[in-house]
Amino acid sequence: MRDAYIVGAGQSSYGAFPDESYRSLFATAYEEALGSAGGVEPADIDEAVVGSLGVGGRQLGLSGPAVTEHIGLHGIPCSRIENACAASGYAVRQAVQAVKSGMADVALAGGYEVMTDMSGDVAKYWLGVSGETEWERLTGTTFSGVYAQMASAYIDAYDASPDHFSKVAVKNHANGAKNPNAHLGFECSLDDARDAPIVADPLNLYHCCPTSDGAAAVIVASEDVASACEEAVRVAGVGAASERVGLFQRDSYTSIASSAQAAETAYEMAGLGPDDVDFAEVHDCFAIAELLAYEDLGFCERGGAPELIDAGATELDGDRPVNPSGGLKSKGHPIGATGAGQVVEAFKQLTGHADERQVSGAQVGLTHNVGGSGGAAVVHVLEGGVL
Amino acid sequence: MSRLGIAGIGAYVPRLYVPASAYRDAWGTGGAAGVERVAVADADEDVLTMATEASQRALDAADGDASDVEHLALATTTPPTDEEEHTVRLASLLGIDPAVPTRQFGGGTRAGAVALAATLDATGPALVAVADSPQGTPESDESAGAGAGAAALVLTEDGVVSVEGVGEYGEPFPGTRFRRRGSADTESIGITQYERDAYTSAVGGAVEALEDDVSATSTAGAAKRADAVALTAPDGALPYRAARTLGVTTEKIAAGTVVSQTGDTGSAGPFLGLASALESGVSSVLLVGYGGGAGATAAFLSAESDVPVDAVLDGDTALSYAEALRRRGTITGEEPEGGGAYVSVPTWRQTIPQRHRLVAGRCVECGALSFPPEGACFDCGSLDGYENAVLPGSGTVEAATAIGQGGAPPEFVEQQQRSGSFPVAVVAFDGPGDDESVSAPAQVVHSPAGTPVIGDRVEAVPRRIYEQEGVVRYGFKVVPTEARR
Repeated sequence: MRDAYIVGAGQSSYGAFPDESYRSLFATAYEEALGSAGGVEPADIDEAVVGSLGVGGRQLGLSGPAVTEHIGLHGIPCSRIENACAASGYAVRQAVQAVKSGMADVALAGGYEVMTDMSGDVAKYWLGVSGETEWERLTGTTFSGVYAQMASAYIDAYDASPDHFSKVAVKNHANGAKNPNAHLGFECSLDDARDAPIVADPLNLYHCCPTSDGAAAVIVASEDVASACEEAVRVAGVGAASERVGLFQRDSYTSIASSAQAAETAYEMAGLGPDDVDFAEVHDCFAIAELLAYEDLGFCERGGAPELIDAGATELDGDRPVNPSGGLKSKGHPIGATGAGQVVEAFKQLTGHADERQVSGAQVGLTHNVGGSGGAAVVHVLEGGVL
Repeated sequence: MSRLGIAGIGAYVPRLYVPASAYRDAWGTGGAAGVERVAVADADEDVLTMATEASQRALDAADGDASDVEHLALATTTPPTDEEEHTVRLASLLGIDPAVPTRQFGGGTRAGAVALAATLDATGPALVAVADSPQGTPESDESAGAGAGAAALVLTEDGVVSVEGVGEYGEPFPGTRFRRRGSADTESIGITQYERDAYTSAVGGAVEALEDDVSATSTAGAAKRADAVALTAPDGALPYRAARTLGVTTEKIAAGTVVSQTGDTGSAGPFLGLASALESGVSSVLLVGYGGGAGATAAFLSAESDVPVDAVLDGDTALSYAEALRRRGTITGEEPEGGGAYVSVPTWRQTIPQRHRLVAGRCVECGALSFPPEGACFDCGSLDGYENAVLPGSGTVEAATAIGQGGAPPEFVEQQQRSGSFPVAVVAFDGPGDDESVSAPAQVVHSPAGTPVIGDRVEAVPRRIYEQEGVVRYGFKVVPTEARR
């Protein structure tokens, strides 16, 4: 199969935007992606794949075409992908497949979500719809509860404490404060993060990401198209995997098997390993999830994540920065946009456009997007400076 | 056909209670006469869960098994819904064969005594469960005394406690204790002497009928011969009003009365009194069920030898009056706008064996346990199906959290308003065989230390999970083994 490249990427700001709609947010992301592509015209786009959970209902059916008609791509094949919080990571993978297979020369992938315009009561409903419904949810848990259960098992199994979760928050907020698109773009102290109110024991408010409005879009193209573009980042490897939806049905509560399997597949396709990765955008919906990601992605041994965060190895100036964008914690988490948004950040890092939060010498970046508590995961290994 | 006798007794009174002092602090006066504390059903308890707990204890006491039960009777004046076949769900929660005849009794608080009388000639083993959780409007006497509790009797042909005779009496006393159609609140018109007359007339009439029962050989003078008298007790004073009428000492009434520690438990009252009396070793009890309106059913029970009793009659967790209003749902809201996860009732029904009785599956291919038993085997991936494997209900906490206020999904918002933060664990339930387990998530009830610790032992208990579209969904939660009463 031929290579695929990211030739353009953009996002809306993440945050709470009562004056925007899911379509206007997506249009903002699309315009930035198209603008950064330099050389690709709207008429060149053969196909679109849009990720969204559909929080709030809205245009739950046919939301893909509803988005593409709004941005002037009326008529092209468009489908919506639902894989909970991994929706648009999978949308990117789908676009990469379309290009690599030769069915498309240029494909648009992205995602959107609007989460902040609902009453608290309605939001409660939507925040748990991707948990295992019949058993897990009906014990009264939403995602914070399930990740808290994973955190409890992790603390029991390894030398870890809630302080390690707080350190993840401090690091990601420090990065997000440098990101003009971040939802919670402010720094926080370790004391701030330690002393926040408990959400689901042992996780407190600073161990949980916000819910956000936002959209992200990337343009995936063949090598022929990419050669004529101003910027191009090679999709060196893609991996995806699924896992049992309910935590209680899994072999391990201290790792996410789908993440590990998706990473293995992506590394193998790329011919690269964890040591080759210069930075990563990982799915830190909860602080424990970032620690699990270090291990599932092979950045350290099992149980080694607390030491990694203690040593500062994943800070912006560390050996391998993780979540230079601020991650879900600070940049924000508009569910359907998150996976594509990670690729947007990687594109900016690998093309030297990450400004204040630029990872120096970044050549290989990894994005890691998880749906629910791990029912779906997708990993991209991206390589800059190839063309 | 010989009549059935009692082979075992179980009783369950909720662990939450309000001391009379808390009621007085709140209202500045009053409280129900002769009541020191009232038991309070938690937000996830009702007459069906309490009846299940009492029945499980009765079966344990009688060394019996639900699968052997040939007849089931349930008596309650406060069923979860006004119209529905509650005995069918009780049978399912207990694991009683669906083809077993079931009978539900209600209409008044003598329902338990009526159920006992009606079951004596049934085919044994029979189970009679009596449960009530009355309530009244907050300012009413009924509310001041409202308690909660359940008792259950296992009746067999060789039960050691025989029912030597039954007497019944009814005479119209309208307005003495009633519940309007569609209302949850028991009330009375509140004419003190009129209510006393109704009570003593009906109780006295039933005992007279019992003593005059020519078909019974040994009920003459039953009231005087009884070691204890167990009466329906709307409060802690009315039973003693019957002492003169029956010609018995107040000590005998005290020996068969628990209302001072439970509050008004409706039809369950005399049976909780019976359990308490028999547990203390008495050998004969006069049991009288009274219902407003008014009617009474009396039975004389005589024990050949000690009958096994497994009774939890005392609460262990005191509530303030305000907390009790929360737990009862008096001052809390309902499921918020926006709805909850929609698991349709037919879909829920498919999982009833798992929810009611922890029926796991054993893969016919590899023998591994699966819960719930559906789809591909988690161990070997086989699609060949499962054999039923009933889990004993004990287990070990593998992962745990506590969902704080505001963190619950909509279908649990009302529960959280009523009972507060709730722990949720992933539990490795012990399998039927040695060294095997299968995991399932469960809420943890009564975890005094807060979030359970990984490795804690727990046991399944029947509870209301949530209510949607007016349909109560029953299932299992777990209680820490060390906190189980």
